[in-house]
Amino acid sequence: MKPNFWIKICSKCFLCKYVRTSKDKTKLKYKVFNKIKLFCPICRAANYSLKKIETTHKIDFEQRYKIEIIKKTDINVVQNIKETNKKILQLLHKNHNRPSTISYYEEILTSSLRLDELKETKRNGKKIIGTFCIFVPEELIYACGAIPVRLCAGSYDTISYAEEVLPRDICPLIKSSFGFKILGLSYFELCDLVIIPTTCDGKKKLAEILNDMMPVWILELPNRKNLTKAKTFWLEEIRTLKEKLEKFTKIKITKENLKQAIKLLHQRQMIFRKLYQLKKTYPLLLNERDTLLIIQASFYDDIKRWIEKTNQLYNEVYSLTLDSKHLNSKFSTQNITTQPIKLLLTGAPIIWPNYKILNIIETTQATIVADELCSGVRSLYDTTEVDDWSTEGCLRALAYKYLLPSTCPCFTESNDRIDKLLQSIKDFSVDAVIYHSLRLCQLYDIEFYKIKTVLKNYGIPILKLHTDYSPEDTEQLKTRIEAFIEMLKNKNQLK
Amino acid sequence: MITAGIDIGSVTTKVVIIEKLNSKNYKILSQAISPTGCEPKKSAEETLKNALSKIGLSIKDLRYVISTGYGRRTIEFGNETITEITCCAKGTFWLCNNFGIKAKTIIDLGGQDTKIISLDDEGNVVDFVMNDKCAAGTGRFLEVMSNVIGINLDDFGTYYTNAKEPVKINSTCTVFAESEVISLIAQGKQKEDIIKGICDSIAERILNMLKQIEEKDVIFFCGGGAKNEGIKRALEEKLKKEIYTPQEPQFVVALGAAIIGTERYQNL
Ligand code: SF4
Ligand code: SF4
Repeated sequence: MKPNFWIKICSKCFLCKYVRTSKDKTKLKYKVFNKIKLFCPICRAANYSLKKIETTHKIDFEQRYKIEIIKKTDINVVQNIKETNKKILQLLHKNHNRPSTISYYEEILTSSLRLDELKETKRNGKKIIGTFCIFVPEELIYACGAIPVRLCAGSYDTISYAEEVLPRDICPLIKSSFGFKILGLSYFELCDLVIIPTTCDGKKKLAEILNDMMPVWILELPNRKNLTKAKTFWLEEIRTLKEKLEKFTKIKITKENLKQAIKLLHQRQMIFRKLYQLKKTYPLLLNERDTLLIIQASFYDDIKRWIEKTNQLYNEVYSLTLDSKHLNSKFSTQNITTQPIKLLLTGAPIIWPNYKILNIIETTQATIVADELCSGVRSLYDTTEVDDWSTEGCLRALAYKYLLPSTCPCFTESNDRIDKLLQSIKDFSVDAVIYHSLRLCQLYDIEFYKIKTVLKNYGIPILKLHTDYSPEDTEQLKTRIEAFIEMLKNKNQLK
Repeated sequence: MITAGIDIGSVTTKVVIIEKLNSKNYKILSQAISPTGCEPKKSAEETLKNALSKIGLSIKDLRYVISTGYGRRTIEFGNETITEITCCAKGTFWLCNNFGIKAKTIIDLGGQDTKIISLDDEGNVVDFVMNDKCAAGTGRFLEVMSNVIGINLDDFGTYYTNAKEPVKINSTCTVFAESEVISLIAQGKQKEDIIKGICDSIAERILNMLKQIEEKDVIFFCGGGAKNEGIKRALEEKLKKEIYTPQEPQFVVALGAAIIGTERYQNL
């Protein structure tokens, strides 16, 4: 049947209209379901077969061999987590000159304030959606009235419980996060649903295991982000996600609410960028531990409050820069007395409270001026740039924002990552690079060789710290880091 | 001007006291070594006292004290702490100047870790690698093996040269290697052959670390493990070149610390 025939018989029908306007007929089936109430007879026929697809789309996993994973309870863990948090906060409090607003971010990460709020919101019928990595478009989640929380965890205390199900030889981030689930703790337990992108092998298989405990959705991520077909594919994934979210929350994602959500997140990224920009000129205003506190509070916090608080923080820090006595190198959130060595931190995610290497670095005469971590600057830096505010235009902009600027090592090529590193080295006049490699994260480990060699050609020293969440190698790391800083200091003096 | 360097290692604590003669020359006045034990602080104090009493000086005569090594932060009377890597480079550079050689790569085989340090022409550290947190390929490994076979580490050299059919130790893990050696003894293998196997296996580990940095010529071998002739020979055989070892390799780091002490004092 020719499309123009449909148009003749029905001008109201969505499907017919779509067929008429769309160039890409393959998108048809995704575009159609759940949207059309008004069908012409022909479309209704078409809709029947589409319904079938729809049902298979509802759950990502077929639960043919569902297993039961028994949850653990241990009251000691909660206590241990609290202790760890307290210990690290104590270390942070040793620094002078921290902006006063910072205590708010500490509270979000260490108290039950946000958790209680979320419990309340949940009781009021809002959905809480857990995410992993930085590929899940939060805009879509906000648009349909749900709340996203990022579940990547940095706690050592939960790992041993996770190891009863997961193998010992996988990256600690995955074990730590799963530990929270198996213990039934914190944000993980509140989530109505988890969305996991297929980044590394660990995350992929975590998805399958989690699926027997709670609803899990998969976001299929291409391995090569720059291919045209990868982009098309990813856009399709995002579109499917939108539709699934609509169904899950029973709230339609419209042009309006999507636009609102995009604007809200844009606002968040912009205030962060402003802060980051300020750090470029005055690297000692905020140390890395505090910067990560700020960023990681945004994983959980109410977004509007976070924006407001960060605005406050910005103003507070900015006013310091106007005061000339603060501009000499003696003023710093770290107790630095000489001209500091400027470091760039890159590599595997460092997530609260895994501040092991940061605590060591920031008690030397070096300061981390910038980072390239998915748990750091990368998670708040990129903005969604929309030029066509139709739903389709927004989806496209979102898809591209989450895919193209990403420098995750889960993609085949690392060129973009190297570009970004070189750019930051230039922008922040970095002296040397610290490369954090989590034990058993092969991706970062493999990329090290190439990055090291390229940076060496540019005359940038690089130190790889291969470690995990356990505190047992702290002394060795200390020697390694201090020796590296001594070497750089010596080099600077010779200059 | 008299300064001291204290190297508080995981196994032994070393102290070197030096006097600066002129712009480039130092005289080693005294040195002392003792086991670190479980109280690094106490052992550091005692070792220093020991070294001082040999020359009839007291702690007040020391212009600057630098502590280094794994326990560097445990003492309270030092002026500064510096890592063993920087100190080792300093000590090596001075010693080598005295020998009239220019070492570019240092292998420091310590009790709990092995380090490879790469130097530039002026003796500055340009790169370094350290072993991971396990004890494979370190002095600790040697100690365990020496206990199992019942032969003193100092005699490893002689046994090494007398080996006829060296065995191969496959495990790098200290614990597994230990049981491997026990079973080799049970099989009736000659001690000479087993010892050569052990030295070769450590040398292999060190070689792997050497590959991680740009290996430059003139290799200097120090740390407690360098006293072991067997390992030195194994390394020379594998690298096919001569390796330099100082007379008292375990004092290089403490010496370096003392030298940095004089430099720091002058800059005050
Ligand atoms: S770096 Fe790894 S953990 Fe971080 S977002 Fe990318 S894939 Fe996920
Ligand atoms: S750190 Fe590496 S292994 Fe771990 S989740 Fe991220 S990408 Fe995967």
